[in-house]
Amino acid sequence: MNSLPSDYYSVFGIAPTLALDLPELQRQFYVLSKQFHPDRFARASAPEQQYALDFTSLLNDAWRVLRDPVSRAEYLLKQQGLEPGDSRTNPPPPELLEEVFELNMALEELRAGDGDARGPIAEALDRFLAMRDQLDRDREALFVRYDAQRDAATLGDLRALLNRRRYIENLVRDAQQALS
Amino acid sequence: MAYSNKVLDHYNHPRNVGSLDKNDSHVGTGMVGAPECGDVMKLQIKVNPETGVIDDAKFKTFGCGSAIASSSLATEWLKGKTVDEALAIKNTDIVNELALPPVKIHCSVLAEDAIKAAINDYKVKQGADVSSLVQAH
Repeated sequence: MNSLPSDYYSVFGIAPTLALDLPELQRQFYVLSKQFHPDRFARASAPEQQYALDFTSLLNDAWRVLRDPVSRAEYLLKQQGLEPGDSRTNPPPPELLEEVFELNMALEELRAGDGDARGPIAEALDRFLAMRDQLDRDREALFVRYDAQRDAATLGDLRALLNRRRYIENLVRDAQQALS
Repeated sequence: MAYSNKVLDHYNHPRNVGSLDKNDSHVGTGMVGAPECGDVMKLQIKVNPETGVIDDAKFKTFGCGSAIASSSLATEWLKGKTVDEALAIKNTDIVNELALPPVKIHCSVLAEDAIKAAINDYKVKQGADVSSLVQAH
């Protein structure tokens, strides 16, 4: 009996790259899902049944993580031993903090019943969405660079970018919740 | 997370919440934030030009109770100190005073960063004033 693949990339039998062919990954996901579907092992030995079950579970986890570029990048960073950085190494730039502060002020005013605060919140949301789009374009470029160079410097840049993106993502969520 | 009584006191009755005119040449503004928790802290000082003593300090913090308490305490300590004395305030002083647990130490670091940023902004403004005077001559 084979042992289970040790990481999400080996589940799919592919090299650990960041820029993935998503349709191809999805095709492979369906192929493997079918191949290891527990129903097909109904008459197999108990260890084989267990393996099919465990593999299917691992396959589902792998698909869920690798299909999304952000969670895929976070996964690969973690595999390479890079945990998310702390604020001391990667502080937000002052002009962004100014925006965040103003957003929080507007959110507080809205909670206090000032409906006029919705305008500034909507404008801030647009700006944060634009920032997120830009970060996603930068991320794609870093994916290509890492796959070509496989260097620690690019991984460091990627970690910094993902930290910033997470920050922006939280702001987007706060603004959207307030406006919904 | 159990907060200490001092944290709760500052959280429920924050001192010196508000803002000062950031365009005033004697006002220094520090804006700092932590990307992982989303906290953002604005701390301002107003320095008396005659004595060099911090006459007034205000803050506004969006964040957890410890971040609010840390900045509230910082403004209390800043008032009456000279700029150099203020620079000597360490995050560990805040940790000790508020009995912050290890996971909240970054809140005190944020407060120390805010103090330093505010003083730096004030000094830059003073330097800019001097250079503008020099240029005028």
